[in-house]
Amino acid sequence: MVAFYIFGFKEGLKMIKNRRMIAIGIIVSIIFVIIGCVYLSLSQETLDKVAEEFGLSDSPLWAPPLPDYELPGLEGNIFANVAIGIVSTVLILAFTLAVGKALKARKEMV
Amino acid sequence: MHIPDGFLDLSISVIMFLVVIPFWIFSLRGMKKVLSDKQVPLMATLTAMFFAAQMMNYPIIGGTTAHLLGGPILAITLGPYAGLISMTIILFIQALLFGDGGITTFGANVWNMGVIGVFIPFLVFLLFMKIMRNEKGMLIGAFAGAFIGDVLAAIFAGLELGLSTLTFPYSVQIAVTAMGINHSIIGIGEGIVTTMILSILLRQRADLLQLPKMAPTWLPSISLDLKRD
Repeated sequence: MVAFYIFGFKEGLKMIKNRRMIAIGIIVSIIFVIIGCVYLSLSQETLDKVAEEFGLSDSPLWAPPLPDYELPGLEGNIFANVAIGIVSTVLILAFTLAVGKALKARKEMV
Repeated sequence: MHIPDGFLDLSISVIMFLVVIPFWIFSLRGMKKVLSDKQVPLMATLTAMFFAAQMMNYPIIGGTTAHLLGGPILAITLGPYAGLISMTIILFIQALLFGDGGITTFGANVWNMGVIGVFIPFLVFLLFMKIMRNEKGMLIGAFAGAFIGDVLAAIFAGLELGLSTLTFPYSVQIAVTAMGINHSIIGIGEGIVTTMILSILLRQRADLLQLPKMAPTWLPSISLDLKRD
């Protein structure tokens, strides 16, 4: 309702619709993360198999803070993995929103 | 299909970065032109959703697993430009935070899963839509696009591995065959999921499919006036 007062009816409606879409997206993403961490967490991709067969080994240049989507010290902890999945999903959402809004702002400036 | 650091020769990694840069530039420019109020939150929502979807690994034959890439549905809903930027953001966060895909191989991964995994499904989808001009054509196009895009992305990954003679002492043919065969099964999975999502979107939120607006300007005009079956 506050959105209607601040931005007017049309803009307010648009904002509410957008927020609803984002909220649904976050809920669906959380479901994906939970399924991914609890039931479908085992990963052995084709490339891993090819690497194993042909003796390829990786040599990382960068030590990621959350290797293999796990919190160091809490490896195998489903709750920690779900939390990491949810936080990073929200982070990606915020990052993409920022990129999109920045591009849109530049478009309006031109 | 995320290639880690050390799998590719440095020269191949550099070439892949150079190949991808123009696609990033054109996509950022193209995306800026078609970005609407509705598209920014939609893009953010879909990017987050497909990042989360990539965490679900389902078993396929031979003891291997696969996960949804999401490129085809990103291309169909957001257009290829925003689709590529979405995939780039997903791959960047995966490499930076989780070590899923390397830093030196980032260009190769963006080429395989971003450029090939988004633009090819989009073009195949448009081709079917142009030929059949009905909903069935859209769904068949989405399936074919997702399948071809996935298999081609894997073939490119095999090609990059095979050409990395310093790290991969086998022929290009061996690498391409090894990657391509398994991914033909994964491609079917990607195709089925893409078709299912598109079918739901067509019934529930057809307004999100603004293809004529999002198609690259170099393509012939596209009409969404579909004949109902």
